[in-house]
Amino acid sequence: MINWPNFVSQLFNGLALGALLALISSGLTIIYGTLGVLNLAHGAMFMIGGYAGYVAFEYTHSFTAAVIAGSLFVMVLGVVMERVIIRHFYQRPHEDQLLVTFGLGICFVEIVRLLFGSQSQMVPPPPLFQGITSLGFMFYPTYRLAVVGIVAVALGTLFIVLYRTRLGMIVRAGIEDSVMVDSLGINVYRVFMIVFGIGAMAAGFAGIVNAPVVSLTPGVGDDILVETFVVVVIGGVGSFPGAILGGLIAGEIISVTSMFNPSYAYVMLFAAMTLVLVLRPHGLLGTQGRE
Amino acid sequence: MSTKELRQGMGSGVSRRALLQAGAGLAGGALLPISLSMPVYAADHPAIGTYPDGSSGSSVFIGIAVPRTGTYAVQGEDELKGWQLAVEHINSGHELIKKISPKTTKGVLGKEVKIGVADSAAKPNEAVQAQQRFITENKAVLLTGATSSAVAVATNKLAQREKVLYVAGISGSNDTTGKDCVRYGFRQNFFGQTAAAAIAPVLVKQFGKNKKAAYLTPDYTYGHTVTKAMQDHLAEAGWTTVTNQVSPLGAPDYSSYLLNVVNSGADVLMNVNWGHDAVLSIQQAKQFGVLDKMKLVVPYQVPFVARETGGLMQGVYAATDYWWTIEDKYPLAKMFNDTFSKKYGYKPEWGAENAYISFAHWARMVEETGSFYPPDVIKTYEKGETIPSFVGDVHYRPEDHQCVRPVIIVKGKMEKDMKNKEDYYDIVEIVPGDGLMQKPDAFGCHLGDYT
Amino acid sequence: MLKQRPFLIEALTAAGLIAAPFLLPLIGFAPNTANRILVWGLFGLGFDILFGFTGLLSFGQSAFYGTGGFVAAYLLTRAGFPNVMLALVIGMIAAAAVGYLVGLIALRRTGIYFAMITVAIAEVFFFVEFNPLADWTGGENGLPGVPTPSIHLGFTTLHFTTGWSLYPFLAFCYFIGIVLALRIVRSPVGAVFRAIRDNPLRATAVGHNIHSYKLTAFVIAAAYAGFAGGLLGVLQAFMPPDAFTFDTSGQLVMQTAIGGRATLFGPLVGAAVWLSLQDFLQATLGLGAAWKLVLGIVFVLLVCFLRNGIIGGIASLYDLATGKRAAQEPKDVLPATNAPAEQPQPAAEASPARQTDAPSAPATHLEDGTTASPILQARGLTKRYGGLLANSDIDFRVNRGELRGIIGPNGAGKSTFFKMLTCEVPPTSGTIVFEGNDITGMTVTDVCQRGLTKSYQVNQLFAGLTVRENLTIAALSALRGKFRLDLFRRIQNIPGLSERVEQTLELVNLTARPDTPVSELAYGEKRRLEIGLALATAPSLLLLDEPLAGMSPRERVETVKLLKSISQGRTMIIIDHDMDALFELAERVTVLQEGRVLVEGTPQEIKNNTTVQEAYLGGVHGVLAA
Repeated sequence: MINWPNFVSQLFNGLALGALLALISSGLTIIYGTLGVLNLAHGAMFMIGGYAGYVAFEYTHSFTAAVIAGSLFVMVLGVVMERVIIRHFYQRPHEDQLLVTFGLGICFVEIVRLLFGSQSQMVPPPPLFQGITSLGFMFYPTYRLAVVGIVAVALGTLFIVLYRTRLGMIVRAGIEDSVMVDSLGINVYRVFMIVFGIGAMAAGFAGIVNAPVVSLTPGVGDDILVETFVVVVIGGVGSFPGAILGGLIAGEIISVTSMFNPSYAYVMLFAAMTLVLVLRPHGLLGTQGRE
Repeated sequence: MSTKELRQGMGSGVSRRALLQAGAGLAGGALLPISLSMPVYAADHPAIGTYPDGSSGSSVFIGIAVPRTGTYAVQGEDELKGWQLAVEHINSGHELIKKISPKTTKGVLGKEVKIGVADSAAKPNEAVQAQQRFITENKAVLLTGATSSAVAVATNKLAQREKVLYVAGISGSNDTTGKDCVRYGFRQNFFGQTAAAAIAPVLVKQFGKNKKAAYLTPDYTYGHTVTKAMQDHLAEAGWTTVTNQVSPLGAPDYSSYLLNVVNSGADVLMNVNWGHDAVLSIQQAKQFGVLDKMKLVVPYQVPFVARETGGLMQGVYAATDYWWTIEDKYPLAKMFNDTFSKKYGYKPEWGAENAYISFAHWARMVEETGSFYPPDVIKTYEKGETIPSFVGDVHYRPEDHQCVRPVIIVKGKMEKDMKNKEDYYDIVEIVPGDGLMQKPDAFGCHLGDYT
Repeated sequence: MLKQRPFLIEALTAAGLIAAPFLLPLIGFAPNTANRILVWGLFGLGFDILFGFTGLLSFGQSAFYGTGGFVAAYLLTRAGFPNVMLALVIGMIAAAAVGYLVGLIALRRTGIYFAMITVAIAEVFFFVEFNPLADWTGGENGLPGVPTPSIHLGFTTLHFTTGWSLYPFLAFCYFIGIVLALRIVRSPVGAVFRAIRDNPLRATAVGHNIHSYKLTAFVIAAAYAGFAGGLLGVLQAFMPPDAFTFDTSGQLVMQTAIGGRATLFGPLVGAAVWLSLQDFLQATLGLGAAWKLVLGIVFVLLVCFLRNGIIGGIASLYDLATGKRAAQEPKDVLPATNAPAEQPQPAAEASPARQTDAPSAPATHLEDGTTASPILQARGLTKRYGGLLANSDIDFRVNRGELRGIIGPNGAGKSTFFKMLTCEVPPTSGTIVFEGNDITGMTVTDVCQRGLTKSYQVNQLFAGLTVRENLTIAALSALRGKFRLDLFRRIQNIPGLSERVEQTLELVNLTARPDTPVSELAYGEKRRLEIGLALATAPSLLLLDEPLAGMSPRERVETVKLLKSISQGRTMIIIDHDMDALFELAERVTVLQEGRVLVEGTPQEIKNNTTVQEAYLGGVHGVLAA
């Protein structure tokens, strides 16, 4: 359906998709940037955020409670995971880190499947955001509109934490040069734990915020994970602004391609990634630092 | 009934012998066909597939590969219950089974039926893998399972190669008994062509001629053939397709597709998506205001979609294999509903119905044949005798092994009209099967050999 | 234990494959399970070479598995191709070709980037197979009806059908696969693979073009995957579309890690565990959907506690039982460099080679009689990091045969200077001429191949390998060039290799511990090996970055002696803080300060130079004068 109204609608929808991808990817990228660990369980944490929120919603019928529960639960899960398992992998090769987080991701998905079954679960959007909003050029689900705003606020908060606090300075310095941070006498392990918690929380938050949009299944995080890879590769691994830029680009590519032929959306997305790799191997906003 | 796999000493013994031969063959001799070494139990028939090994003991084994995870898991579990109930009834000689297969006493030809269940995740590879195991390890005499036409087609081919009978679970593609049909495969349920032929006149009567339709099509054999069949049938009434949105199985987000639909100016949205995909796409269609702009039609009804979409199926037309409220008309359906809901606590949907009835039909055919020898059982099916089912009398076509059976057109009930919490649909019409089906050779079916 | 009898593994494999069909049914294995394990095992052979041996963790192997599978299946079902074996080989070649193209993109990056890119590429393959190519691949239906192979032997024809009847065919394929894989990992290429896994930076620095070797490993893995993919179609008479999905790659990775990486047999063992557990949990215990969780937990535990998987665990137990320490027996199937003690070579062959190829020291690049000419000349070398000027306008010249020292306070830019000379970092401006050729902007590999290399300030060793293997890897680059595809050559058969390794061992005084893993060496020994690595590449110009750093006084004395002996007939430049040692060793000394050359001269001149004394040596003047 190639016509102007549809083009504008798809552009807008791309923004909405991209914003969510940006949030999830920024979690992945700051963990990687600071700790040097690529968390392959990140998609599973996105999923768990949704389920934790769902459980909270079932008890309280409050969407706010669901969001808080989803984010906090995944943050705690992230901290526990870092303390109990990931910590022992800092000194081991990257490959082992990939393997263990990959395995943990599978375990998380299967545990949720065991507890909740394969049937999809619903978290309704908060009453305030139910219904449809007319944007003049299109109708758009009010809640999806709200998600754009919510994600923007979340990204803004993350920005403030990363760029306006002492912790953020340490994290960013760590991304630039982890050896230097070590030598500054900062308790890196405490910082690592906090960063892992924040990164996981970003995924969990995105998971519960996204839950009313897609409905929950145990596999909901699997596809997202692959998309976030593309986002961080495009944006530059370890770069927070890169994750946002990459997220928005990915969202637009998926949406605009869908206008012509949805089945090529993914192919175009990966083609874009390949292009970036060829032209700018470190990603659009990446640095040479991490490999 | 036992789902535990049995491993008879018999099976592995034969395997080892066969292998010794293979070894001998490699060593320089001729590689003898395995069959020659098999002890011949039934004097008249040579060994074929798992015959006679699979039926020489006191029990026979059926391999079931059904999605218990993934997009079609919900429907898979429902199907599984249908099979389990059928096996229970067969083994106990239940009254219901005797109505369909009068010669049944207990078991099939006196042998207890055992089943093995594997999770196919609606993936052909997983399904074939599991079924192959059931054949070699358990000497399965019958295969079943699907809930995805890709799985049905793959199992068809496996069945033909291994010479083991296969009765399809839910499979909506024309190909299953069309271009990918096989001598060893049978399908009871309705499919794209019959669904479209049955529902199209109803839609034209309801919505008028020369309407614009948008399609949501899952990207695999079922989706493409159902969409094609609908387009063909509605074209006669001047309907046009303004957009066809093809999405991958298990897509998490339909927003891009739905925006294309909403901006297409269509009058009717044909949602061919199935399983969880159907639930999700209908919910999101609501969110994007699509359902306020156009009428939703589900050409190939999805079990539990009404419950899972929470009211969004109200007023929606759908074609289906079975809906429980036809029990007013068909006493066998009532018996089935009652025994099923007594055991499982809910009314069966069409996945369970198809599962039950295809086992019952198989049991009948074997009893009629008096032997498990597959070519003879196939020939009994191919006699095309009129036999009972939950939707009245039906028969199997010898040319493509498709069951000729009615298609039920339903319309989602308004909440206020629902008599109980499972009363989701009104029966609009029960369209007799004979007129719906294409000519047996129209879809390029070549059944292949008996042996 | 394995290296003395080179065909032992092959023989044991053959025996195991022949015995399996008689033994496995006794423990309840179905023939199809055995066949599937073989296909996974074969798939995994290539992957283990890529991941276990070369250290490249790809999550995208499904792309090649599917490519090979679909090409073979298409040929056999749609194109009416009659010969199964030939179709399988064509599928394999197609997969290898695709692997080459994908490798060109994916190998632009390493580590985590590489893993992510392979995931993404595999996804693209799945979508392409599913949509644009659906007419050829059957889309979601896959390609049913793949025939089983028949082999005409003239006097008879062997038909392989299903179950145990197909087993001999698959077992034969697996056997060929393992024989080839063993040849590869025992070849010089295999040795370089391991070097890349352990320390890609050093593998580059000793003169191997690691990008080409990585690409080689990638293509090998793709070829194995492609062949296995074809076999999958034959095995189930059906080429399923799901062969392309990420799950397939994930399963392969998990099976390899469970079985044990860098063992070649790991994937086979992993597949056996995986498939039998799957059967057992699902069918026997009736766990239904929970089977995957159990496997996931098993996997995580293995990764945490048994890094080398089941085979690694068994090997450790075996070592424990036989009283060996686990670490003394490296887990890899070792490339056996020629250990004279174990494999005495005919003296007649060995000694002339030693006389002709390698004179007193393995400095093959050194030409006699030109000692006065400059071997290295740098002009106007400047390096700027953002606003920071590390080196500024350095002019520097070293003559053939000279032993030059470089001193300077911390932050004087000595290490940056060395890095520019060895082309590890490109200069912001200026030129470097080595042996008359401008090498500015060349790669560190090419420069090493030309005879200029460096020993590192911080040890850069191949930590998972033995002393001998370390030196072998360095020596290989000098003897084979930066890239060579001698995949099936025995490493022992490279002329001059063992001699060079032995000589280097002698030079750096490690003859007593050639088969000790690097991890067990004392610090001083590691430092000597670090120098040995550089020496084994037979450099005509050797740069030593703080060779004495961190040594005890006694070790220093020994090392100075060592450096002296090395310097015979060789040009060297040494950076160090140990001024006494340096003044004793060097003929001339260059002093760097704040990124510039402060002064240059003989040790005596430097000691007496007032500028140096004031600017740099001030505090220790008294000591120096004494």
